[in-house]
Amino acid sequence: MKINPVYRQETKVSARSFRLPLVILVCNSVLALAGLLDMYFMVSQVKATAEIQYSGFLSLYLFVAAIEFTMLLLIVPALTAGSISGERERQTLNLLLTTPMTAGDIVAGKLTASLSTVFLLIISSFPILSLVFIYGGVTAADIAMVLFCFSSTALLASCIGLCCSCVFKKTTMATAVSYCVMAVLVFGTFALSSFISSFGKAPGQRGSSGTGPCWLLLGNPAASFAMIIKKQVGGSRTVPVLLTLPYGMTEYGWVMISMTVQILMAVLCLWIAVRRVNPRRKKGWKM
Amino acid sequence: MLEIRQLKKMYGRTAAVDGLDMNVREGALYGFVGPNGAGKTTTIKILTGLLLPDGGSVVIGGEDAVAAPRKVVEKIGYVPDFFGVYDNLKVSEYMELFAACYGLYGLNARRRIMDLLGQAGLEEKEDYYVDGLSRGMKQRLCLARALIHNPPILIMDEPTAGLDPGTRYEFKEILKDLREQEKTVVISSHILSELSEICTDIGIVEQGKMVLEGTMEEILEQINVQSPLLISVYRNREKALDILRSHPYVETITIRQNDIMAGFTGDGEDEALLLQQLLDAGVMICGFMRERGNLESVFMQITSRDEGRVLIREN
Repeated sequence: MKINPVYRQETKVSARSFRLPLVILVCNSVLALAGLLDMYFMVSQVKATAEIQYSGFLSLYLFVAAIEFTMLLLIVPALTAGSISGERERQTLNLLLTTPMTAGDIVAGKLTASLSTVFLLIISSFPILSLVFIYGGVTAADIAMVLFCFSSTALLASCIGLCCSCVFKKTTMATAVSYCVMAVLVFGTFALSSFISSFGKAPGQRGSSGTGPCWLLLGNPAASFAMIIKKQVGGSRTVPVLLTLPYGMTEYGWVMISMTVQILMAVLCLWIAVRRVNPRRKKGWKM
Repeated sequence: MLEIRQLKKMYGRTAAVDGLDMNVREGALYGFVGPNGAGKTTTIKILTGLLLPDGGSVVIGGEDAVAAPRKVVEKIGYVPDFFGVYDNLKVSEYMELFAACYGLYGLNARRRIMDLLGQAGLEEKEDYYVDGLSRGMKQRLCLARALIHNPPILIMDEPTAGLDPGTRYEFKEILKDLREQEKTVVISSHILSELSEICTDIGIVEQGKMVLEGTMEEILEQINVQSPLLISVYRNREKALDILRSHPYVETITIRQNDIMAGFTGDGEDEALLLQQLLDAGVMICGFMRERGNLESVFMQITSRDEGRVLIREN
């Protein structure tokens, strides 16, 4: 089978570098530490009170999943933001473009290489996420749903990083803008949604009962993750209610729509990236 | 093999290439010469598919490079004016990457890589990281990389820039080998003495236009360089100087050891008459010839901003 040469080169270099095992070690150590500490406190509480609160064990799952999701948001843009701009800085992009490789092939090679790293990270953390199975309360299908959410988030973050890497010539600039875009997507949309929904509340009304514009949060991967966790763990005590769903829509229904929107956003980013890498495109903006 | 007609490329309101015509015959070692900003690199980028022209046509090996660039990439190898190497790859891995880009895998790729590394004198460096190679080795590796798919045309943009004389000499020898392999090579360089030694054809570009093109011999013949007469006098130098001083076509006289350099404005018949006059006066002459024009003098005249100094004879 013919493997994309850029993908093969990227994976070869990353497998040989010290960075990949270090990232996996650090991420899994943080997750393991968080999970084990949470378990320790839970068991201590049971010993002290002689009461078993099974809902408390679900916080272990919530805790570990939330940390992993946050780490993904922080790591993925950094993995991809230097992919094309790095080629430009090394002056190797033009060499690749003078071969039969198309701009799409190059972008696809870079994307699959970074996704391989991210998926390795997600899969390697699966045993830690599975600690919750010791006590039960979460099914394998629930974990699969969370992993699916992680995957779509990784795809979106990778494509945003890749797009910035194609638009900006310097890696530092591409990385900074990638994080800014992710911040706007995660916090900005939530802030805007909250601001808009505050107009729809009665004077003195508090909480989430106002009808927030949930469509604003469709592109927000954190909202999708929170909705999945809310559905699985339940209750507004453990998971903040970010939005009010339209009448008749289930949590997973909204999650599916939001993930589709996020995948479409990722495709749009890829289209921009390919267009920016193609040297024979018609005149566009320069940065 | 390579034909450009009325090529145009604008950067904003500035014309980088302004109606350039170029014709490179098969098997030629074509020197693409011009001052900085003349449009050489822009032309090369258009040839290699890295830029879209605003007008004109580019035909490479019978294929339209503007309309069907994917068909042309197989026919050209490109050596840019920078190394373009991945420091974290080994020499063989670097070559394997580009071999795979051209669809070469496995044993075929391995054979081709070892063959090219042998030609570039890098066969013992295949397991070295590219980062550890010298500038000259990196440049030879770039050349080997450009030849991985055995293209009939090699396009090189300032390939010897920043290399020491020894490495430049080695590079020149490799180019001669390529010529023996009947490759068509287009080479852009500022080192004119090197180009005049190795090139069979020359194109001089200025302000985006081709101002002179042809074989080396044709170009040197076309130029009326007004080279001085070099007269080597064996005996009676004073007598020779007297005759030259009084000659109506002699404008300047420079004495260099036993040689006399005379700025002579006459034609071939006048030269013969002067020689006869010197011999009749008893001057013993062991050399009498016009100094040959070289590429540097041609380049300086062509690219000179002083229009009056352009001395191309009209055909």
